Amino acid sequence: MLGEIKPGMQCAEFDALLADAIDHVLSGERRERFEQHKAACASCASLFAEVTSGLEWLSEMEEVAPPPLLVHNILAATSAAGEVAESAPRSSLWLWLRSRMQTIFAPVLTPRFGMSIGMAFFSITLMLNLAQIRIKDLTPHNISHAFYSNQSRLVKYYENMRLVYEFESRVRDLRNQSEENVRERQDRSRERDKSRKQEPEQNQKTEPEGPHHREYSRDENLRWLASLRSGEAVVAMRKIENLATQRGEL
Amino acid sequence: MLARFAAVADSRPVEARVDEAQVVAQLVRRCASGDAVAWEEIVQRFHRRIYNICYRFAGSADVAQELTQEVFIKVYRTVGSFDGEKASFNTWVTAVTRNLLVDHFRKSRNDRATESLDAPQGSGEDATPLSERLAAESASPQVHVEQRERREMVHRALQQISPDLREAVILRDLHELDYREIAHVLRVPEGTVKSRINRGRAELARLLQRTYKQAL
Repeated sequence: MLGEIKPGMQCAEFDALLADAIDHVLSGERRERFEQHKAACASCASLFAEVTSGLEWLSEMEEVAPPPLLVHNILAATSAAGEVAESAPRSSLWLWLRSRMQTIFAPVLTPRFGMSIGMAFFSITLMLNLAQIRIKDLTPHNISHAFYSNQSRLVKYYENMRLVYEFESRVRDLRNQSEENVRERQDRSRERDKSRKQEPEQNQKTEPEGPHHREYSRDENLRWLASLRSGEAVVAMRKIENLATQRGEL
Repeated sequence: MLARFAAVADSRPVEARVDEAQVVAQLVRRCASGDAVAWEEIVQRFHRRIYNICYRFAGSADVAQELTQEVFIKVYRTVGSFDGEKASFNTWVTAVTRNLLVDHFRKSRNDRATESLDAPQGSGEDATPLSERLAAESASPQVHVEQRERREMVHRALQQISPDLREAVILRDLHELDYREIAHVLRVPEGTVKSRINRGRAELARLLQRTYKQAL
């Protein structure tokens, strides 16, 4: 184990001298201490054996012959590089910039990325064709115009739906009703306090608030009514009146 | 004793190596001044070694050929900036090769599939050792086949170890650079170089021992 105290040399020193021992340049007293430590320390002995074994494996490697046309290709490439440098001596900044850009954008300039871009372009083009959108329709003015017109169409459709209107009106009525109740209670308590302070209690009849206190959205009602046929408009008005009457009775 | 890889260079006497270095330095000076003949001589002298470094690191003959061309294009463009005082031309070219190999490794990291040692041979088929190009009459074909299989195993095992360890092992054990040169190429201290080399050898041995046992 590294750092473990052994007689003579330490494992760290053994590690440092290992390369020299393998190269047979260790001698004398250092060599003796090295050998003693190797005999005493199992891990260092194992390391020495592995290093020696690795070296033996590597000794079987031989030089590999390069391809026959390598020299020709190198000379052709370097002569081309020399011609480019000679023909455009002032474009060295451009070449430097180009090489820097190539280095920076190297992860992007791969076939995989190019294929993804191609597929994305194809998908977008197909969608535009199916939606019958032309390129000249994609100006900022046309886009904002299309956005707002579609938005208003959507809002109109949504608000003109009978179910939606009735639901909204019921909710509005309930809200108004609860506000009225709260106001009534506040008025009553105020009156009670007044009468306690100044006069004997009087019976006060609080009148329910009339319809003119309610806040109807005039535009919403008009749009809805305009979308109905004449008979349906009458029915709707009667319903509104009934609701108003019911609240009056409460 | 270990059979040396590219043995010719190191078995020569010191004087021959010094002469070689002077010849190369002169060729480099002529290259820098635009001598095409000197450049061709440089390519002839170094292309085999550069190709082998690329092949052993990248694992594929096609990639090695492409990288070798890139190395020489870079050397061609920057030969004017080579400073003979800092390092030898051999070391400088090796450093250029190593830097390009590291760049290539980083770029191809996502696309690379990790192959097991038991995967069928593919990348090494084009790379024929020199010994097989010469007719060896003494060794039997069976021995040749076994030797080739073992080399293929070692070659594939080299691709499995970490790139840091792999480059150190290739430069030391296959190309016999000294520790100082390797430290210059890898830009790490000599102690780190020795440590990486030993760890690389040990890792290689473990991988091959496991594969060899499975094969038996």
